[in-house]
Amino acid sequence: MVNQLTTPFYNQLIAEFENAPKGENTNGDLSKSRENAFELFKAKGFPTSKDEDWKFTNLTPFLTDTFSLTTGDTNQQEVKEAITAATIPGLDAWLLVLLNGQIQFDLSVLPEADQLTVLPLESVINTESYKNYITCKEAESNRMYALNTAFFTDGYFLEVPKNVVLDKPVQIIHLYTATENMLFQPRHLIVVNESAKAELIDSAVTLGNAQRVLMNSVTQVTVKENANLIQYVIQDNAAEDRLINYNHITQERNSRYDNFMFNLPGAELIRNNLEVVLNGSATETHLLGLYLVAGHQLTDNHTAIHHRFPHCDSNEIYKGVLLDKGKAVFNGKVFVERPAQKTNAFQQNNNLLLSDKAQVFAKPQLEIFADDVKCSHGCTVGQFDPESLFYLRSRGISEESSRKLLVEAFMFDVTQKIENEAIKDFVQSLIYKRMENSLATII
Amino acid sequence: MLSIKNLHANIEGKEILKGINLEVKAGEVHAIMGPNGSGKSSLASVLAGRENYEITEGEVWLDGKNLLDMKPEVRAREGVFLAFQYPVEIPGVSNINFLRTALSEIRIHRNLPPLSAKEFLKMTKEKQALVEFEAKLANRSLNQGFSGGEKKRNEVFQLAMLEPKLSILDETDSGLDIDALRIVSNGINKLRSADNAFVLITHYQRLLEYIVPDFVHVLYNGQIVRSGTKELALELEEKGYDWLKEEFHGNESINKI
Repeated sequence: MVNQLTTPFYNQLIAEFENAPKGENTNGDLSKSRENAFELFKAKGFPTSKDEDWKFTNLTPFLTDTFSLTTGDTNQQEVKEAITAATIPGLDAWLLVLLNGQIQFDLSVLPEADQLTVLPLESVINTESYKNYITCKEAESNRMYALNTAFFTDGYFLEVPKNVVLDKPVQIIHLYTATENMLFQPRHLIVVNESAKAELIDSAVTLGNAQRVLMNSVTQVTVKENANLIQYVIQDNAAEDRLINYNHITQERNSRYDNFMFNLPGAELIRNNLEVVLNGSATETHLLGLYLVAGHQLTDNHTAIHHRFPHCDSNEIYKGVLLDKGKAVFNGKVFVERPAQKTNAFQQNNNLLLSDKAQVFAKPQLEIFADDVKCSHGCTVGQFDPESLFYLRSRGISEESSRKLLVEAFMFDVTQKIENEAIKDFVQSLIYKRMENSLATII
Repeated sequence: MLSIKNLHANIEGKEILKGINLEVKAGEVHAIMGPNGSGKSSLASVLAGRENYEITEGEVWLDGKNLLDMKPEVRAREGVFLAFQYPVEIPGVSNINFLRTALSEIRIHRNLPPLSAKEFLKMTKEKQALVEFEAKLANRSLNQGFSGGEKKRNEVFQLAMLEPKLSILDETDSGLDIDALRIVSNGINKLRSADNAFVLITHYQRLLEYIVPDFVHVLYNGQIVRSGTKELALELEEKGYDWLKEEFHGNESINKI
């Protein structure tokens, strides 16, 4: 096994940090936190499959290249085309465009400032309140998080003011340009204030002809009392992309948070960590995921929900369809701490394996310390039910259409929860488009 | 319409059908009876194209076309319909979407123009009324939450929608109460015409009081051991199958001598 402390990429990052000019203004007043984070990364290096949380996702083969940290030139025409391509048809939405982590106000269409604050993250990292976000208890041993903390410079800060119900969803398109191997480490912060409501859709596109693009992004979210946030993440990326995401959500009393995660075939590596901390009672949380894994892809979703107060409900459904030599990892942790009585925590993970060479590693993990709770989890790995397939075919429906109907049926638990019709149609059409070739080959 | 000649079939290496011969003409209703394990459901499955059966010998022709060469969906489009003994529940596939997909693929195959949404809906309503199937179909998954009787009635409703030439009903009467049996039978009687044919697989003579067959066949040990008219069903009801079994085994031992 390659020692992660001696790879060229590791050495490059160490040198990069240590040689960077030090001073109050370069890294804001976060320099101490950044140094601490850097020390953790320096001491332990990248995660390896010896780490429990990375057991089935070996990063080593994805880190053999070196990556530049300096962005190159951008073709404006390419940017415009990418925005058009990423725009969800029929969706009436605000638009926020970022290029290499920096907000492009001229390409964005945003509501009035009294409805939504949109600022570059740099403009808030020196504030007192940002100190709450620089370190994160749940990620204190997460080296990818530490690496991001040490290096991040760009990202967005979104704040929905108190009592504001955003009239339209905000589609956030992250564009990255890479003419050589690139590492991007954006960092974002979302605050939905008391009794406010918002819906955000995230997607990322890489431009340029780079061989390898590594993204190690961190998003932190606070959903305050009585607030409501729906986050959609659409990961429909190119093969050269390697996505590592850490998404941390804190929910205050009476809030509701919904996360929809859609992973499509493409990016050779997807690793998402979704961590929800329920920091008040009577909250509602829905984590819904669809992963379609094909080619030689590795798609890994780690989720964790921390129940710390009584009367909170969480509901998690992740469904995976595996094709070709795709490999998927699902790890769903639910922690119910002692004060969290009357918790309802439900978790379900189902996998449909449509190829002999596909693999799934699923691990539901419940840790319950309260005694008056309702918690359940279920996990299945299966194939098409031959009897259902025959039933459909015996009614004149072709084998291909029958399989499509059954996949649609399989995903129905998740798709029916997407209330926004335009997003639902868009995601379903992406899934069918990606699946068509693979389904045709297995017949 | 249907011509089965010396049909032999295996499942997992075990011979289940051992030389079936059957001719079904348009406008006819044939009943197939027989004790448990005689091969009745296997015959239905083989005709519909269930893939775990291996045909080792014989031929099946549907209006001059070789049925055994066709995939299950092509058989359906050519006009074979199997009403399942145990209809499958498929959560997430809506009844309406399922029917629309089936009907549109069948209509393309039969060179019929596609139905508009309005025409489709109208047809659905008409056929539901025809077979007295009141279950609400919109926004419901295929057979999900249906009672045993409703599932069977949904099969007959699908039959009405897809307008097959040859319908094979595999124990459609089992699990139905008297009222449901009468409704299902009425529906089938309304669908009978000079152009289509029915093969009823049943254990009970009762069904044949409602749907009067032209011919009754007894299947035993993978073969049709006796054919007759509806009176044969009455005789079976009265005497059971033992006399036929004895006769069959008697013949077998005579042949051996």
